[in-house]
Amino acid sequence: MKNSTLFLLSIFFIGTTVFAQEKTIKQGLQGHTNQNKFKQLKDQLATPNSQRTASGAPGVNYTQQKVDYVMDIVLDDENKRISGKETIVYHNNSKDELAYLWVQLDQNMRAKDSKTPDIQPSKIPSSMPVKSFNLNYPKTPFDGGFNIISVTNLDNSNLSHTINQTMMRINLPEPLAAGKTFSFKINWWYNINNHREIGGRSGYEHFTENGNNNYVIAQFFPRLCVYDNVEGWQNDQFWGRSEFALEFGDYTVHITTPKDHMLGATGVLQNESEVLSRKELKRLAKAKNTFDQPVLIRTQEEATKIEKSKSSDTKTWKFEAKNVRDYAFASSRKFIWDAMAVDINGKTVMAYSLYSKEANPLYGEHSTRAVAQTLKTYSKYTFDYPYHKAISVDGQMGMEYPQICFNPGRPDADGTYSDRTKYRMIKVTIHEVGHNFFPMIVNSDERQWTWMDEGLNSYVEMLAELAYDKDFPITRGYPKNIIKYMNGDQSKIAPIMTKGDNVYSFGSNAYGKPATALWILRETIMGPELFDHAFRTYSQRWMFKHPTPADFFRTMEDASGIDLDWFWRGWFYTTDVTDIGIKNVKKFHTKTKENEVRFIEDTTKGLGFGDAKDSNSKFHYEITYNKPGGLVMPIIVYYTYKDGTKERKVYPAQIWRFNDKEITKVFSSSKEVTKITIDPNQETADVNTSNNSWPKENKNNFEKFKRKIKG
Amino acid sequence: MNIQKLLLLLFIIPLLSSSPHKYYLSLTQIEYKNESRSIQISINVFMDDIEIALNKKYQIDLQLTSNQELKNNDDYFKKYLKEKLHLKINDFPKEYNYIGKEYDGDLVYFYLEVENIDDIKSLEVENTILTTYFPKQENLLKTKIYNKYQSLLLTAKKTKGLLKFL
Repeated sequence: MKNSTLFLLSIFFIGTTVFAQEKTIKQGLQGHTNQNKFKQLKDQLATPNSQRTASGAPGVNYTQQKVDYVMDIVLDDENKRISGKETIVYHNNSKDELAYLWVQLDQNMRAKDSKTPDIQPSKIPSSMPVKSFNLNYPKTPFDGGFNIISVTNLDNSNLSHTINQTMMRINLPEPLAAGKTFSFKINWWYNINNHREIGGRSGYEHFTENGNNNYVIAQFFPRLCVYDNVEGWQNDQFWGRSEFALEFGDYTVHITTPKDHMLGATGVLQNESEVLSRKELKRLAKAKNTFDQPVLIRTQEEATKIEKSKSSDTKTWKFEAKNVRDYAFASSRKFIWDAMAVDINGKTVMAYSLYSKEANPLYGEHSTRAVAQTLKTYSKYTFDYPYHKAISVDGQMGMEYPQICFNPGRPDADGTYSDRTKYRMIKVTIHEVGHNFFPMIVNSDERQWTWMDEGLNSYVEMLAELAYDKDFPITRGYPKNIIKYMNGDQSKIAPIMTKGDNVYSFGSNAYGKPATALWILRETIMGPELFDHAFRTYSQRWMFKHPTPADFFRTMEDASGIDLDWFWRGWFYTTDVTDIGIKNVKKFHTKTKENEVRFIEDTTKGLGFGDAKDSNSKFHYEITYNKPGGLVMPIIVYYTYKDGTKERKVYPAQIWRFNDKEITKVFSSSKEVTKITIDPNQETADVNTSNNSWPKENKNNFEKFKRKIKG
Repeated sequence: MNIQKLLLLLFIIPLLSSSPHKYYLSLTQIEYKNESRSIQISINVFMDDIEIALNKKYQIDLQLTSNQELKNNDDYFKKYLKEKLHLKINDFPKEYNYIGKEYDGDLVYFYLEVENIDDIKSLEVENTILTTYFPKQENLLKTKIYNKYQSLLLTAKKTKGLLKFL
């Protein structure tokens, strides 16, 4: 063979081989991994073990550390400073030996060398008022970091420690064995921030009239980090947004304040008769038996009188708090105090409010009542509130701690307030008191997963709001409320399963969307009975423990017998949206000939049948549903009959398991259908309703509105 | 709320506050209808944001959805939108009619219409709704024109966008 012939042949063979390869690719012989939206979540969730079981319950080997604190705290009103001494007893209940302990120094987020401002991008605005300028570009930055005076052993010898921003490592003299305890002491002080001026989750508010300060104090002491088998030491830095992970323990706390202050704090007050007047004690006793309305312990008249002078003496409030994960208090000369007893399945719990006259009459009328409602509703859907009290404080923020929370909202100067001010104040109060359940008792890791406490809490909050006022204007949690966020710019949306520090639209991501997801599960997918049982099971399994997302997902399935992996995958792990539509409808009638039933298509326009239909035949509709949205959801269909009646039919989400884009389904009826509508009650957060009707709805929202106002 | 406090809220609280910090977004949907030769516009904004912005700008107290709601609030909405939303169709500025507004939860929907449009080759939108008072405000625009879907994200820095339909 000549070389040239060989060359030509080679080209021919190479060419056909390449051609054949392309063909095989086109035929789809390229494999793929399992992308089915109903694939189980196994590769997303941690492998179950004897500490956290596959059912979502704590396992036989579940352990949890315990940390006890004995603290002496002094509130220095003159210098707006906190100083404290604490003795910490750390119980290593794990099976692990620990070479060091990690302690949280949250106030260092406010230190002058804090890195928190450094990770916030900033821009130069065209102008700003002098006051704002001075705050944003201060000559000397406020130094609100912890000043650690000493870290010592019980015998006062120095204990080695290393501070890394908001975290401090205690270098143990020798490793702490499993089952052993380690005790040590810390002395510290810090400057309290003006939270009304520079923000914060605690701080003071200054009143120019009479020069008083309302203190709402939290993260005021060095607190142990959580150690568990999920994160090891949860020692992620506190940047200011993602909140806290804390161990349960017992607290003995003595707080010294100016003698004329009124104070509320976590724990049971041990020396009532030393710090309250005889009149106040009498009123308090009455309140403990008054279940229908708040009883004033300190009146506005009394508080107004007290705030006009300043005592140079001090007094010490003594508290014991058992099995709490944190500690906070509020203190001021200005506080009015009211109280009401709440019956929680036969046990009396006290609802308290502390507020300055500037917050009245709004607080007097609603605060304690909102606290009581929260305790009742949450107890119904989770477990009986296990503590003895819950306090709402006029703190002018929205922040939660065990048994005490700081809330916003004040009336106008003339004492009147609009409905919006009222409902916003009640909403936040219910939300913050509700946090007693999530995460103060069902103690998830807030630093890692904001949604686990905020989302679950925002969901139960809705039930409490509706119980407080059946016309409560709910603005977050209904499926229609989340459409705007979910249908927004995809580059600015993160899945719910994202660390709180790193999400866009924090409120919608970690509060609104997970609350909506639970609302949809209860109302549309699981039904209230199965949902409520599963949700209660989760709450009770994990009360006073540290649940993870997997424990929640697994328990909801385990207790209800409903596979929800597709729902968690779509709603929690992706940013997909719901959009289900009707693509086409064909209609048929039947004719029976001998042993065969023949379906004959009626090709007339619309849903009505022509004359050819035999009156014995049923009305058969072959409906093609398409799904431009990424989420799989049930198809909720309303068939409207010629006689005006309607029938609701729900096809479970699993109808999409073989084809994620479109499916065809037959609906047969003895009555003629005039209209088919998908999800008319907005149960699924469908972002596009223009494809939800057949015959196609030509009127969009604009036209509906225009027609409405033109009459 | 005075302006200092307001700016304070805007600059500082979002950084540190613990309450669920909301996001700042409006959605404008624009659809061209052949049959009516008109451009239909619906805009939704957060009620509390638009209330703060208008109360400050015009020194009024809107009290939306309350029984003390300012009666002639449409006059202010109309005036505000005229200043903040500008359209150019085929390179020519076009006026729109203010049809009205409705409330839904925490949102206010505005409906606007441009009449007598036979053909759209290009649409330029300038949208500065709420960007003065809320530096983080984003104004998302979604259009459906000649069965073509497009979207634009406008911000305080990028206030204008041009869409073409050729």
